[in-house]
Amino acid sequence: MNDLLIAGGIGVAFGWALECAGLGDPPKLAGQFYLRDFTVLKVMLSAMLTAMLGVFWGGRLDMLDPGALYVPETYLLPQLVGGLVFGLGFVLSGLCPGTSCVALASGRIEGAATMLGLFAGVLLVGLAFPAIEPFYRSTPHGPLTIQRLADLPYGVVVALVTVVAVSMLAWIAKREAAR
Amino acid sequence: MRLVRGLGIGALALGLVAPFAGSPSRTQQRGLDLDSIARAIDDGSDHVSARQLAQWIRDRRPGLRVIDVRSPAEFHDDAIPTAENLPIDQLVKSRFAPDQTIVLYSQEGAHAGQAWVMLRSLGVTQAVFVPGGLADWREEVLSPLLPANASPAERARIAELSHYFGGSPRIGGSQEDQVAGATQTGRGSRRRGC
Repeated sequence: MNDLLIAGGIGVAFGWALECAGLGDPPKLAGQFYLRDFTVLKVMLSAMLTAMLGVFWGGRLDMLDPGALYVPETYLLPQLVGGLVFGLGFVLSGLCPGTSCVALASGRIEGAATMLGLFAGVLLVGLAFPAIEPFYRSTPHGPLTIQRLADLPYGVVVALVTVVAVSMLAWIAKREAAR
Repeated sequence: MRLVRGLGIGALALGLVAPFAGSPSRTQQRGLDLDSIARAIDDGSDHVSARQLAQWIRDRRPGLRVIDVRSPAEFHDDAIPTAENLPIDQLVKSRFAPDQTIVLYSQEGAHAGQAWVMLRSLGVTQAVFVPGGLADWREEVLSPLLPANASPAERARIAELSHYFGGSPRIGGSQEDQVAGATQTGRGSRRRGC
């Protein structure tokens, strides 16, 4: 019960943050794909930076145990195909699963349509699962992380990602200021 | 803008110091916690009976993950419903969420028990194994012997569980028949090896 309350609280905070960033607005999301609007990238990069630094330093200061975090396993080929399908749906509807909830909550009919499609898709895949299971489980790579892939210490990866993310954010800020 | 710049510089500083801060993970020590293993074996929290597992599957216990550690060929031949196939070499590469209950089984239990120790050494403490493996599943769930001296409610419960998984219980006679029956079917259904 306690877990449910915590999850509910985090969910509300997440939705609120997405709405504040304006990500319940489909044209804004689609704008990212046409490189017209960099809001999505800004939100993603700052969220990644905050979470990554939070987990790293939180673990270092003994406030949490990064080893207890669940890293989803990589199935290269099915996830590539899934990513393409997901991206196609994303740019067509201008919403992703999380932002479709936000859009619905702020009364946008696009949100309802996207969520309906989402559940229909989940149901279809569930029904077709016996047929697609061999593909679903193909090319397994276990829980793949950048540090495991590049064989670098965790801290070095954190530094590299920070440099890349901060320079991209700085570049976006400069670009927006120039307009 | 000032605040944004400050946040950016702060993030950069935290990120650049990270390589010199050491490892953040506490669960890096890979070794056997022999005390906790001995305790789990002593109090029986290391294993679960086939019948208990059947009840968990039927009741759709949240977070339950049934894992068959045999080869894919054996898995396709016959397996416990809802199980997924993770042979031992793949098992140790997998990650498990802390709130999952992992149930390991093999043909007769030895390999599952070994897999349990391997997972323990990797810090996975939420795993259990089925001591008699698939053989126990067949004997205790698919064709359980209904003990003659059990109460009717108990017999109905066993029979119902068996029917749920498409099995059919055998009716036990007197105590002696029961023992004879058990050894006989034991010879028939148990395959050697694990």
